[in-house]
Amino acid sequence: MTRISVTGPKNNLETVIEELHRLQVMDISQYDGELETGSPGEEAEELSQLLVDVRSLLSKMPEVETGEQAFSIEKMQEKFPEISEKIDSLKAEEESLDRELEQLKEEKSFFKKLRGSGLEYRDLQESETLDVWVGKINEEEFESEVRTNRFELFQGESASAVVYSSDDSRQVENAIQDAAKERYSIPESVGDERKSMSALYNDVDSKKDSIELEIEQVEEEREELADKWRGRLEYVENFLTEKVEKAEVPINFATTEHAFIAQGWVPEEKYEEVVESLAEVAEGNIHVQREEAEEEPPVKHENNRAVQPFESLTDLVAVPKYNELDPSAVLMLTFPLFFGFMIGDAGYGLTSLAVFYGGYKVFPAGKEIFKSLMYASVATIFFGLVFGDAFGYVLFGHHSDLAAVTGIHLFEQIPLIFHRAEHLGQVFTISALIGLVHVNLGYGVGFYNEYLRHGVKEAFLEKGSWYVLQAGAALAYLVSPTAGIPVMLLGVLLIFIGEGVEGMVEIPSLIANILSYLRIFGVSVAAVSLAAVVNSIASTAFGAGGLVGIVFGTLILVLGHVFNTFIKIMEGFLQGIRLHYVEMFGKFFEGGGKKYAPFGANRS
Amino acid sequence: MAIGSFPAIGAALAIAVSAIATAYAQAKIGSAGVGALAEDDSLFGSVLILTAIPETIVIFGLVVSLVVAGFI
Repeated sequence: MTRISVTGPKNNLETVIEELHRLQVMDISQYDGELETGSPGEEAEELSQLLVDVRSLLSKMPEVETGEQAFSIEKMQEKFPEISEKIDSLKAEEESLDRELEQLKEEKSFFKKLRGSGLEYRDLQESETLDVWVGKINEEEFESEVRTNRFELFQGESASAVVYSSDDSRQVENAIQDAAKERYSIPESVGDERKSMSALYNDVDSKKDSIELEIEQVEEEREELADKWRGRLEYVENFLTEKVEKAEVPINFATTEHAFIAQGWVPEEKYEEVVESLAEVAEGNIHVQREEAEEEPPVKHENNRAVQPFESLTDLVAVPKYNELDPSAVLMLTFPLFFGFMIGDAGYGLTSLAVFYGGYKVFPAGKEIFKSLMYASVATIFFGLVFGDAFGYVLFGHHSDLAAVTGIHLFEQIPLIFHRAEHLGQVFTISALIGLVHVNLGYGVGFYNEYLRHGVKEAFLEKGSWYVLQAGAALAYLVSPTAGIPVMLLGVLLIFIGEGVEGMVEIPSLIANILSYLRIFGVSVAAVSLAAVVNSIASTAFGAGGLVGIVFGTLILVLGHVFNTFIKIMEGFLQGIRLHYVEMFGKFFEGGGKKYAPFGANRS
Repeated sequence: MAIGSFPAIGAALAIAVSAIATAYAQAKIGSAGVGALAEDDSLFGSVLILTAIPETIVIFGLVVSLVVAGFI
């Protein structure tokens, strides 16, 4: 990255901004000095207001796939009130229809409950002398409790109505209170009062149908509107976003009465291109120069295509600093291996590959992460074949389940390279060894970083000293304590010189970090057992025989392995990635860089 | 492998208590972490790391219980 400043007369400002936007290479920095900063272009305020309006209109429109359609801003400004009004009125109409529908539904269920009671709607109207109560009631209890006979009880399909004289309301209401379970409120005016409950029910039902039809029509209208305008609005939105971005960028520039200065970063190899194209558009009235930088330059990942998907996993922790090794490459090398080794099952490798591919298609935002996870799935299939496992069944070797099911004895001929399920004790040791190698790989990367920054001596003191310490420990364990302990002490001394007290505190955590890799063993055990549990439950069901047994067994197999797929993805991802983030990155990664965001590049 | 009842209880305690300890620590860190994420979702990576740190406790528990059970 090179720090540059672009100086030119103000009348060139717009052309320069246009050109920088087109080039998409300059990460513009905010100017903070004694000069005044620029003001946004005149139209910025108006444009951003329109942009806000357009976005709010878009949010009200139904989602339809139309793709962008070119449209002019002036026309959009002209048409805008019309569309906005239309969409608002359609929305209001739909809402009021929805409310009406809700009410009709309530009425419908009320009339349904009283069907067959022989009542007409007018019977439910209270008068000066008569009161009415409708609800669910225990009739026997009510009739035994009530101390008057000036009432009448009507039974409908699933509710009762009590019509009683206002004079005796106390007695009746007391009895209702004791015997009632629920009260229903009587709908207001329904037109013809002489209609029976079931006739009213039918009325309401047909009215409901017609309202539903109306709602459908309104919805269709909204969709038509969206079909016509959404693409255009999206186009205008993008256009305006770009416009506003350009109009607001002078805020970052320094300005004098007649000139402006823009500062920022461009990649070293783009410097010449920027100088030439700016000189061309400004017809020579521009001055571009390199500058001394005080701040850290922004960071742009530079990896080949295989490593790129892992950049987002690195950025999840922190963007690397400008002068440190990008750990994405390390992630690409070891993360899929960890994931694959832990799950180690060709069947789950395939299912997880399907899940990640689905995620890749459905969630464009997480594209890169899903791509990196697909690497992990491939590694899982690889380890699955090495371990000879698929969904917990043995693929190869003498006890091959695959051969038993398919009848192809060829599978028995393929040797089992390492049948993990039988050698979990060895997996334990392997896990610790993986930890030893991985943590030391971390120190190795740290050594390289320190070497780049401070030279070989510092690198040896800060990171190499850990190798000395470990070599001492190995010597003490393998040869003799008298040979090892002095080397260990030397290592500790070097760490103290290199990293100070902080380094001393770190020493016990070295053991903790290496032991932490035993989670690989833990997840392996869980992976093997979970598959075995599902299979054994299923085989019990199959063993029971009959159609029920087969259906039930298949169901258990499918559901169980789907469940397992997801739990294993979660375990494999979380445990695999945390071993990198916590145990390994802790040995070298500082992070805290600022991501390179060139002006004009699409940020979505 | 057959082991005595006391070592078996010891092994069970080692894994159980350390698992509870991890869970307690992760619950506290996790809830604070979600709060932090609500403020600024660029912290996701750091929150994930902080939440993952106490897991080492239960790994130690696992190692101790395997040693007690005579697995290693």
